Amino acid sequence: MSAPLDLAEQAVALARKAGADEAQATAARSAYFEIDYSSRRASLARSVDSLRIDLTVFRDGKRGAASITGGRDEDLAEAVAGALIAAQAGVPDDANGVAEGVEAVATRHGPERPDRAAMAAAMTDFGAALARDYPKIMTDGVISAFNDTETGFANSRGLRQHSRRGAYAFGLMFSARDGGRSTSFNHTGWQSFAPRADLLAAETLRRLLDEAVRSLHSKPAPEKFLGDVIFTPDSADTVIGPLAGALSGHALFAGTSPFKDRQGELIASPCFSLLNRPRAFAGGADFDAYGVPTRDLDVIKDGVLDDFLVDFFMARKLGRAQTAGAQNFVVPAGDTPLAEIVGGVKRGVLLSRFSGGVPNSALDFAGVAKNSFYIEDGEIRHALSETMVSGNLRALLRQVYAVSRETVDFGHCRYPYIATTGALISPAP
Amino acid sequence: MLHQLAAKAQASNAEVVLRWHANETLAMTMRKGVLLANQSARASGVSARVFSKGAFGFAALPDGPVDAIDRALALAAENAELAPRAKASPLAPVAPGCGSFDHRRAGRAKFTAAERIDLFRALDAAIATKYPDLVSRDLNLTAFCSEKALATSGGAKTFSAAPQVIFNISLALEASDGIVDLYDSLGGFGEIEDHLHDTDALLARIDALYADLRQKAEGAFCEAGPHDVVLDSNVAGILAHEAVGHTCEADLVLAGSVAGDRLGEKVASEKITLGDFSGRGPDGRSSFAIHVDDEGASCEDVLLIDKGVLKNFLHNRDTAQRLGAAPAGNARAFAFSDEPIIRMRNTCILPGDDRLDDMIGAVEHGYYFRRATNGQADLTGEFMFGVNCGREIRDGKLGRALRDTTISGVAFDMLQSVTHVGDTLSWSPSGWCGKKQPITVGMGGPAIKCRINVGGRS
Repeated sequence: MSAPLDLAEQAVALARKAGADEAQATAARSAYFEIDYSSRRASLARSVDSLRIDLTVFRDGKRGAASITGGRDEDLAEAVAGALIAAQAGVPDDANGVAEGVEAVATRHGPERPDRAAMAAAMTDFGAALARDYPKIMTDGVISAFNDTETGFANSRGLRQHSRRGAYAFGLMFSARDGGRSTSFNHTGWQSFAPRADLLAAETLRRLLDEAVRSLHSKPAPEKFLGDVIFTPDSADTVIGPLAGALSGHALFAGTSPFKDRQGELIASPCFSLLNRPRAFAGGADFDAYGVPTRDLDVIKDGVLDDFLVDFFMARKLGRAQTAGAQNFVVPAGDTPLAEIVGGVKRGVLLSRFSGGVPNSALDFAGVAKNSFYIEDGEIRHALSETMVSGNLRALLRQVYAVSRETVDFGHCRYPYIATTGALISPAP
Repeated sequence: MLHQLAAKAQASNAEVVLRWHANETLAMTMRKGVLLANQSARASGVSARVFSKGAFGFAALPDGPVDAIDRALALAAENAELAPRAKASPLAPVAPGCGSFDHRRAGRAKFTAAERIDLFRALDAAIATKYPDLVSRDLNLTAFCSEKALATSGGAKTFSAAPQVIFNISLALEASDGIVDLYDSLGGFGEIEDHLHDTDALLARIDALYADLRQKAEGAFCEAGPHDVVLDSNVAGILAHEAVGHTCEADLVLAGSVAGDRLGEKVASEKITLGDFSGRGPDGRSSFAIHVDDEGASCEDVLLIDKGVLKNFLHNRDTAQRLGAAPAGNARAFAFSDEPIIRMRNTCILPGDDRLDDMIGAVEHGYYFRRATNGQADLTGEFMFGVNCGREIRDGKLGRALRDTTISGVAFDMLQSVTHVGDTLSWSPSGWCGKKQPITVGMGGPAIKCRINVGGRS
């Protein structure tokens, strides 16, 4: 069985021999194991052994790509031929090409294999603890998993990368049910190099389960109003995901980024920063799809837009420096405890999950506040149902007035509670 | 491969499903004339699922090793022993599905790679020339085909191949208050040549999209709150899928869905009949085809709501046994590495006899929503989906165009408010659903008039 780096080198050599001017390949061999536990339906243990090869070739400045699973010689030859046909038909672009570099030091992260029996036992314990402590909680798809991936990268300019990464993951979807009452589903999950001994005690799970039980008695917001929104760590991606898209090289190239002329300017409240830290997490990466080593980037620092998230291709296309290849975000903690933030809210929502339409290029958003709570005069009053939250994320970023001391590390990102104001909150009748 | 799978399945002492599965994808993206993606992908391998003493073991391996089926079977059996068990029960019996259902068109000329690129260049150049005020223009093509051979110890033996094409056109321009964008999707069941052969028709579609975008740029934000609305037939499919379909999936029923207690009750207007259909749906025109599911069950139609009354849930063999129902072929897996889980197939509201003009005329102050984006369902029956194109309705007439919004409601409350059901069924060309795994689905329906909660700026 060939090593991934050898397979990547083999793919590049085949492509060059077949007529590619330049080529790059990534080969990833992974061993995945998961336990999908349920107390109300049949549980499952699943394993997947996989080998994936991604090949990109360039000819006369044109690009073509092909991917396969498995490492059979005939499949690889077919992928090389397919990528070259695509490249020959392609559109030439000066930005096409492979990265320069040398063979890098191989990296290794996390354990190579899990103790599967221990994982199964931990899930049985989790199920028992959940039934004991949270009899009103219903779950669907409680998943404990381990993935070990060895990745090799090679290109025709001699750049070589080799890494191995083994990490655990846990996630579940849940709701509360009591008699005829049901709550919205909620979900959470995280990745880590080490297994969690007590799954129920990890990260935000107990808080979310408590909130689900309290949500059995929910009602809409009392009336339509402009108010505060506190995004919880579990819902922070509602802001961060669209923001990262608007700050990407692809949005700059499209000309649709509302921040395209704002580098060096204040685009958010001074208490808000956004950092990219691809090497800080179990779910991170040492190099990107072009084999370029990942690195830290301060995207927004104290509210000022320091830099955009520009990948290898867009850097060449836009004539800018490459700043990002993989994205794992950190919003640094502030110095205000969550309780103090809530205590200062005149009227607003603690937003634990947002179910809404994808924000448009202008970052307008509208959606339903799920698993969320109504706050009035500094107190959490009741769980919300059928309540819409609308606004514009640019405006909300400028209006951030507090970032919590508490943060949650999800193993691929780390977020605090983020408090802002100026959202329109409207109940159903 | 199918004969090998069938022989191994029959020889097994356990209750097993063996599947060889290949997903082929061709993807192209052009933004402002720059080809950002031009690639093909093939993900293929074999899997085994073993059911033993109340739990499933599943194992998958990529194509390659000659002993892959034997190894997958052995690993699946090992995994089944590891799976935790609670309230073990057997699986419901199924009528084993057999037959070959290859929907690819053999022997017909296909677009070459060069012809595909030429089409993109021609469309992009036409847009750039005709509409120089656009800030950005994207063309995106995805051709997807899922090919499977499947055999079970219960006697199922089947092969299928179902192709699907999605072609998106996205345009953006600068309005007085910032960027406004809009996209349109076309395609559906079949191959590229079925949908992109008529360049003039594509250009006409782009002209219509640009006209809608221009109106949207001058348009208004919705007024937040509950409103009478007309949902176009293009929108009704996502309503059927999100609002009702997910609520009636038996795994979600077991997880606490409000539908669990409502079987046999009136949950909608008598005008609403809604089902999840096998094949290519009741009119044979859905974007997706299925005949045997990934547990080997022969697919049957399932009527979820019949004239307003909740009749059935969607099952796999496990949930059917637990809830005393018969499985109808709703267990599906997306990739060779995925286990089958309960999924919708071709879900639609059946057409009524109302006309769109009459529905709009019946709204005094509300909205006409023409295109939906993403959506999500909930165990409470609450659903939402994004809307990126629509018009105000004032005194029964169409008014200003609308900016993007999100609409929401509680499925069984909203369905009670339906007063009109249109006479024309249409299917979304781009049905995909995410639930642990992504998967292609058919989503369809006629226009309907109902009352729904609308997100807005005021």
